[in-house]
Amino acid sequence: MNQIMMNQMTMKQQNVEPGKEAPLVLQMNGVSKIIKGKSIVDKLSFDIRKGEIVGLLGPNGAGKTTTIRMMTGLIRMSEGDVMIQGHSIRNDFKRAIAHIGAIIENPEFYPYMTGLDNLKQYQRMTDEVNDERINEVVQLVGLQEAMNKKVKAYSLGMRQRLGIAQALLQRPKLLILDEPTNGLDPAGIREMREYMRTIAEVEGISILISSHMLAEIEQICHRAVVIQNGKLVTVTKLGEEQEAAAQVKLTIRVDLLQSAIDIVEGTEIAQLNGMDSTRAELTVTLLDSNVPALVTALGIGGVGIYRITELKQSLEEDFLKWTGGNLIA
Amino acid sequence: MRRFNNLMINEWLKLSKKRMFFMPYVLLILLPLLVGYIVHSVSAELFGSAFDFSSTMLLPNGIGQALTILAIIGTAGVVSKEYGQGTIKFLLIRARSRTAILASKYVIVLVYALTLTIVTTIAVYGSGILWFGLNGGEAGFSEILLSVLYGFVYTVVYVTLAFMIGILTTSTGVTIGITMFAITIDKLVISRDFYKYVLFPNLNLSAYEGNGAPMRGMTLSFSITMLAVYMLLFLLAGFVVFRRRDVA
Repeated sequence: MNQIMMNQMTMKQQNVEPGKEAPLVLQMNGVSKIIKGKSIVDKLSFDIRKGEIVGLLGPNGAGKTTTIRMMTGLIRMSEGDVMIQGHSIRNDFKRAIAHIGAIIENPEFYPYMTGLDNLKQYQRMTDEVNDERINEVVQLVGLQEAMNKKVKAYSLGMRQRLGIAQALLQRPKLLILDEPTNGLDPAGIREMREYMRTIAEVEGISILISSHMLAEIEQICHRAVVIQNGKLVTVTKLGEEQEAAAQVKLTIRVDLLQSAIDIVEGTEIAQLNGMDSTRAELTVTLLDSNVPALVTALGIGGVGIYRITELKQSLEEDFLKWTGGNLIA
Repeated sequence: MRRFNNLMINEWLKLSKKRMFFMPYVLLILLPLLVGYIVHSVSAELFGSAFDFSSTMLLPNGIGQALTILAIIGTAGVVSKEYGQGTIKFLLIRARSRTAILASKYVIVLVYALTLTIVTTIAVYGSGILWFGLNGGEAGFSEILLSVLYGFVYTVVYVTLAFMIGILTTSTGVTIGITMFAITIDKLVISRDFYKYVLFPNLNLSAYEGNGAPMRGMTLSFSITMLAVYMLLFLLAGFVVFRRRDVA
């Protein structure tokens, strides 16, 4: 119990930390990509602050990959600029890119070389990365045993880990992951999520994750940037922060439905939204802080409670609301 | 400079860590031995000595041609494989300019062609000694070196062409195909005046030996100028495209 509280405390602290004062790591300033008169990405602007994990969400073809490729200089911007730690990708590429570690789509390596040889390739392309740092990142992703095997013998999960090792090598301030769980099995996805948390904590860096897997984003990110047809739709906060002072909607299953309804209607703190007599359930809306009081009131009234479920509006519903269904333009 | 050296080390490792890396070298050692054996058994008097044999064989239309073909095959993938394997994404998101990355690749292509040439020269000379001996004949070391030079010029122009096509097409197969096609038709002569401005008749500088010329009105300095202009064009096209292209 104590431990859970502690965990929640640290989670909260983490969420508070990347507040207004945290320095900007990435600034997207009106970035556009126009191909043959058509805007693939249209005047996109958003920021990422130190220590934040931000999700870049959008339906297929929304321009997520194009956006990420522009951030990393793989694709030229038609308009606007991306600033990394204050350095422009457009005019000061080498200094800006030095702060980025990225995996863009699938992590692809030289298959005939060993994992270590592949990492050494990137060590030679980066200033101030010694062998000790290689060992450090290899240990962080847990690939010690596989370092001397050829990459062609690696599973997709191992390649993802080597991809992360590669991205972390130069001690980036911003880690960019494009569809990091693509093609991974559930165990791999979970593992990936744990790595990302560890990395954010251990290395203290900001992470940008692009995905169309909403549940993934919801579980790990502090904020989500939603884009559609290359345009910014909304930037939303995720996780605890949002819940703190908000109203919650609960479904309560009881043994005596009518008594429960009477009690709820008799109190000031909760509003009855509906009921389901066949399942002996009622739905109520109330402030988060008033939940214990309602439970006590039900208990005093002699109503037995079987379960209480939160009716959460999931990110998925929000997402469909924002993007107007599954239209792909 | 240390940064550029490291880029070159990377490129050399990408070539040399391949399983088939030694194949071209082995072929280029075996081929002269075989050719020497065949020539010797058909007509032992054809070459007076190892020097005669070497200076003829190393020309762009002798074993030098096989050398060029193998160098092209090695070069074709240097840029296009990065696109094919998808490794181009990791390569270009480093604090190194695209120009420096491509330049290191080109230097290593030239080094690769040079190592092939050196191995071939030694193998041909060795085969010459084995089958024709060191005595007699008219040629000497300077003739061998001149043949090596002609052969190397031919090879360098072709690997530069293959390097450029590899950048433009990003396909190893297409690059090898186009360049091989060029090699097979480069001996054709079209007897029109414009043809001397085409790359092909200028490629084999040994044609000027003994006051000859590939076509009327062509001189050695004319051909050297033409080759330089073509090389510059190939490199310019390659670098401009590589620097500007979106990696989608």
